[in-house]
Amino acid sequence: MTTRLRLQELLGPILIVIAFSYVVGLQSAQGLLIVQSTLALFVMVLALHVFVGNSGVLSFGHGAFAMFGAFASGIVTTPSNIKENSLQLQNLYPFLVNLNLGMYPSLLLAIAAGALVAGLSGLLLMRLNGLAAGIATFALLGVAYNIFFYNNRIGPGSQALLALPPFQFLEEPVVLTVIVMLAVYLFGISRAGRTLRATREDPLAAPALGISITRVRWIAFTLSGAIAGLGGAMFAHVAGTVQVQDYYLPYTFMTLSMLIIGGSASLWGATVGTLLVTGIGQILLMMEQQKPILGIVVHIPNGTRAIVIALSLVVMLLWRSEGVTQGREFKIGMPKLRK
Amino acid sequence: MIQAILDAVSLGGVYALAALGLGLVFGVMRLVNFAHAELITVASYTLVMTHQFPLVVSIVLSVVAASLMALLMELLAYRRLRGSNPATMLIVSFGVSVLLQKVYELVFGALPRSASVATGLTGAFTVGGVSITIASVVTIVLAVVILLAMGYLIERTKLGLQLRAAASDFQTARLLGVRSNRLIASAFVISGALAAVVAFVNVVGNPQVDPRFGLDITILALVGIVVGGMNSLRGSALGGFIVGAVLSLLNVILGNGRVYAYSWMFVIVIVILLVRPGGILSKFATKERV
Amino acid sequence: MTLFEVRDLRAGYGKVDVLFGVSLTASKGELIGIVGPNGAGKSTLFGAIVGTVGLRGGSVFLDGEDISGKRPEDIVRRGLSLVPEGRQIFSGLSVIENLTLGLTGRRDKHGEKGALERVHDLFPVLTTHRDHQAGMLSGGQQQQLAIARALVADPRVLLLDEPSLGLSPTVVKDVFDRLIAIAESGTAVVIVEQRAHLVTRLAERTHVLRAGKLQATLTKEDAADEAKLTAAYFGNSGE
Repeated sequence: MTTRLRLQELLGPILIVIAFSYVVGLQSAQGLLIVQSTLALFVMVLALHVFVGNSGVLSFGHGAFAMFGAFASGIVTTPSNIKENSLQLQNLYPFLVNLNLGMYPSLLLAIAAGALVAGLSGLLLMRLNGLAAGIATFALLGVAYNIFFYNNRIGPGSQALLALPPFQFLEEPVVLTVIVMLAVYLFGISRAGRTLRATREDPLAAPALGISITRVRWIAFTLSGAIAGLGGAMFAHVAGTVQVQDYYLPYTFMTLSMLIIGGSASLWGATVGTLLVTGIGQILLMMEQQKPILGIVVHIPNGTRAIVIALSLVVMLLWRSEGVTQGREFKIGMPKLRK
Repeated sequence: MIQAILDAVSLGGVYALAALGLGLVFGVMRLVNFAHAELITVASYTLVMTHQFPLVVSIVLSVVAASLMALLMELLAYRRLRGSNPATMLIVSFGVSVLLQKVYELVFGALPRSASVATGLTGAFTVGGVSITIASVVTIVLAVVILLAMGYLIERTKLGLQLRAAASDFQTARLLGVRSNRLIASAFVISGALAAVVAFVNVVGNPQVDPRFGLDITILALVGIVVGGMNSLRGSALGGFIVGAVLSLLNVILGNGRVYAYSWMFVIVIVILLVRPGGILSKFATKERV
Repeated sequence: MTLFEVRDLRAGYGKVDVLFGVSLTASKGELIGIVGPNGAGKSTLFGAIVGTVGLRGGSVFLDGEDISGKRPEDIVRRGLSLVPEGRQIFSGLSVIENLTLGLTGRRDKHGEKGALERVHDLFPVLTTHRDHQAGMLSGGQQQQLAIARALVADPRVLLLDEPSLGLSPTVVKDVFDRLIAIAESGTAVVIVEQRAHLVTRLAERTHVLRAGKLQATLTKEDAADEAKLTAAYFGNSGE
């Protein structure tokens, strides 16, 4: 394994993400919204990639970190006067009512919240063996959902938090995303990242080499929790609202599908998967809404989109369990993606 | 008080059945079948849609529907994944689960379908001044009978012997002549039938069937098999029972805080797993399967 | 009359080829040995024969029928059983349950009782421990159980992968005496051994497998010649 920084593996995906953002984002207001929400989902996919891709252990629990990130960032950026007057926020802790931060400090808070929750829960979860850990992460998601859904001291409960400041410019989510991509890449080539991938290849050899699987998994889990916290908060600031249901199973399924369809093991896979699923989803959405695509109107029944995305995940895994990119990193001159 | 205990035992029994269905399939192919939820859901829809038929017919149809669905899953999706990494299989089953939910949504609509099934079971009776719901007693009896029958099947029949052998070493079992396709198909059919039993009990208690009807119980049963120990059927059933019973008791103990029962249950689960990371019935703690 | 024939067998895993054209035959009642150093491809050969390792070429014939590429559970039903390396008994199941599983691979279901009785005659110790957990047996008893479990399927050809592994010399002799008896009763027995001297003296023919090919074939008489054996095993002479 080489530690050499291969710039094209990093710059390739970054340039493609930037190109996508500007080409689609400058088209229309709707295009801008699509780009912003795609980037917010992409950051979540990157979070999953850091842990799932490097360790080979599944996580269904990252929605919990995204929830913490979204609510942490959301509650401190909602203006105090709105918090005082909203019906669903009447029971909020007083210090939360009075706490007001700008968008960027609130994103740092979201990162900290995600890292904290992941770090603490990881102390237990990472002690379990791989498969049991994967299942136990369902429990994590369930608990987070349960708490946010019913607790109106820390948030709006099952209601929505409504008046979040949205991103002002396209550049904001783009820059955040690029920073996360850089972090993800650096972790991948770091000692901990390489060690973790070695444990994925051969879990039994790791203890023999004196590697503590628990420890390296925990490091990756905490880092990916931090990124998921940011991803959740970004998603909130794109929509301008936070509601606990938005981060539950459909969100988990969507981001996991993106990662796995692209190929969980590489940064390139996470990128391709996110863009591919977004693209397919948009086309199908236009069909459901009977909008013309290249001048042709194709009508499909409502709900087909969700079926197609679920079906493509299953078919992809049956056909190529390594995803479209087969876990490879971006390389100039790589063979064209087979459709 | 007595009613609370009966409720705990009956909910534990139901979760034990769900966990056992998951454990059977996990045993023969290392697949954690998340789409078990949709087996429960399809059986529930069948019960609701056929409520005008005699109850027995309705139940038989629901067992057939769930078993067929289980066979289809195996044939169309899981068969191609045999021997794959368990994480890959788990995520496929997650995909199958979501796919079927969406299909159910298209077929039955997103809103709950409801019909009163087995209305005779909804009442209560009084013993020595204590009121007891019929449903809890029937559920306990049903769970006990089926767990005993499963125990007999697994411990005393040729199929059970093959299932146990395959769970510990499938390759060697095949070398001795155990037919892999037939055995795996049997495991799926049985897990489908168990899902139908779970569906029956749930529909009687709450006849509002929507596309996600089986989801919560399956997630909890999954956690149950981790708690009990994934590598043994007894462990799976025991873990399921614990999760169900604890959840039911928490609902009583917590009073107004019962909305957080789910969270408290997971605290208990975490404590159990801290003590025994491989599950209650595991012999080798954390090292056996990384 | 040839009962069992392997013709030009090729096999491997992933990108690696392990066997490069192995051929051998065995007749009714013959005991055949295959020896060779670690990594020579011995277990792969057996895996390829019984269908657990993918074939890359060649064929396997049992009584004239081509069984190559069939599934393990179908091959055992045609009368070819493998006692795998490391015995692979089901340690959590009882002795009788292990034997009952062995019956799964029988062609005719009528002779089950007789087959169990014959096994109990051959391995009386298994009768003593009938209801004990197989994992509690000693190494030698476990090996006997593994052989018995294969025998109850009434195989016409019995393959054994390293039956001496982990057993003391006296136990090894005991096990090999049973194997001779099994061959004498008409079963073709093929034994893979890393410790060549254990089989060369008993086997009709002993093939030396090295680097995925049969490099030499020794008769019983050759085997008595220490120099010839060493040369064939380590490959420092012509063939």
